[in-house]
Amino acid sequence: MTDPAKDGDRAAGGLTGERTRRRFLFTTGTATVVVGVFGFLGATARYLFPNVLYEPPSRFPVGRPEDFPPGTATFLPERRLFVFNSDAGFYAISSICTHLGCNVNHITGDGFACPCHGSLYDANGQVTRGPAPRPLAWFALSLSPRGELVIDEERLVQPDYRFKV
Amino acid sequence: MPSLTAATRTVRSAWRSVFRVGWPRTDKDRTAAMISSFFLHVHSAKVKKHSLRASYTLGLGLISFYLLLVLVVTGVALMLYYTPHPPEAYRSMKDLQFVVTFGPVLRNMHRWAAHAMVLVVFLHMCRVFFTGGYKTPRRFNWVVGVVLFLLTLGLSFTGYLLPWDQLSFWAITVGSNIASYAPWIGDDLKYLMLGGHVIGSGALLRFYVLHCVVLPGAAMTLVAVHFFRVRKDGLSAPPQPEPSAIVEAAPGRFPASTRSYGLMALTDRPAQPVVESDPEDDEVLSWPHLLYRELLLLLAVLVVLHVVALVFNAPLEEIANATITPNPAKAPWYFLGLQELVHYSAFVGGVLVPGVIVLALVLIPYLDPKPRGVGVWFARERRWANWTFGAFAIVAVVLTIVGTFFRGPNWAWVWPWMR
Repeated sequence: MTDPAKDGDRAAGGLTGERTRRRFLFTTGTATVVVGVFGFLGATARYLFPNVLYEPPSRFPVGRPEDFPPGTATFLPERRLFVFNSDAGFYAISSICTHLGCNVNHITGDGFACPCHGSLYDANGQVTRGPAPRPLAWFALSLSPRGELVIDEERLVQPDYRFKV
Repeated sequence: MPSLTAATRTVRSAWRSVFRVGWPRTDKDRTAAMISSFFLHVHSAKVKKHSLRASYTLGLGLISFYLLLVLVVTGVALMLYYTPHPPEAYRSMKDLQFVVTFGPVLRNMHRWAAHAMVLVVFLHMCRVFFTGGYKTPRRFNWVVGVVLFLLTLGLSFTGYLLPWDQLSFWAITVGSNIASYAPWIGDDLKYLMLGGHVIGSGALLRFYVLHCVVLPGAAMTLVAVHFFRVRKDGLSAPPQPEPSAIVEAAPGRFPASTRSYGLMALTDRPAQPVVESDPEDDEVLSWPHLLYRELLLLLAVLVVLHVVALVFNAPLEEIANATITPNPAKAPWYFLGLQELVHYSAFVGGVLVPGVIVLALVLIPYLDPKPRGVGVWFARERRWANWTFGAFAIVAVVLTIVGTFFRGPNWAWVWPWMR
């Protein structure tokens, strides 16, 4: 092993098993720099996830109970949900298809149909056909001090949920 | 008139300071012209005749590059009138469409060139596959090409949202929700992409920055790498494998020149002089043979784009409205094959199939490295590979056609002539 090129490699702490201290220092040094650089980059990636969102609030009033006549379904396009007033009470179902986020259409007495990929839901928002993976979301309701129905999109509820005023 | 001659001499020398060779009249000057110019030296001084044959390469790589150039130029022009914030974004589109001089032409050219680029890059990939161009020593350049294809799709997709009309809003709704089906990271990925939970001003700004800075930068860099390797390995794979190029350069050794005109041949000479193994009459000078073909093709691309842009207007629907979903809501056409699959299962169509396809494309040159049947279309030795790739390409095309023309309201089957 007298090839000068190979000697150069060895001097750089490289390819052979000899001179283990130099090799050790080279390896740990390189590893530290790599881990450090990628660690900083990884931590900085957090920058890409915003902490404050200027989006519509997830809890909002939708109107007084008497604005929703008994036995009807009201579509609130701005909020992308339906408010139902049944004999047992009020309930709210999201109009956002769980497949790819299109607005579903309500078919009275029959459930919901998505225009994008043909998913069908029954009157309770349960999937009956098509590619939708989950039922439509049900939101909890409450009454504000001013007597308005308030919907909280963060609080999901089961399809047996009814809100009595 | 001594002052006039002095002036002429000054002008001539100034001209020479810019163009050192001048208009080349001898073969030596033609070679020097290619080497001495920053813009021309991406070419070698001579090219193999086979790579000039239009029926071999169809010029698809070059057309892709020209379309990219057109997109950069028209894109920068459009940026002067575009505000990446809703609802001004939509108003700037209306301005471009109706009040800006030549606005419609530039926007139409940008739009149609973008569509054309997706198609042409795909065809270029098919061409390279069917002629075995991904084999040693061009294996890694195929991978670079696959990434460039993905970048092309990404550029087109991010640009799709910018008009902020119904078409763009719902296409991106469908597209970004497909991303959320990725296992484990799906929801974070969508949040990252949109900068929030809904498609609003944050998402528009992110798409704008990706579309105008990040992705073009990445694409330009990789195009440079792609071209550099093409320049090193030769314009396109020759019908017979190059004897010295079958083995990629050994580590630690400067690769041997395979050309007889290696002006800067600081190389280990192969045992046999390349001049003898590489017959001269196989090559022609790049100036004018390659250069004129390139200029003619550029002219053709520009003419076709102008005609298309003057005849067909880019679509612009009503302003984006999150409360009204058009029926059917369709993704951009090049994703309609995936949307057709997504219609059966979002995970399979949106994550599994595209993931497997990209992985398979990247691995092709490493799974099939044997240098057989290279440099000819549909070589008999590569029948199996060609049939497999061809079948996949046909399925992709059929699914795209079905999604585009045969799907109506509620994604139900319609016959295009019954609409």
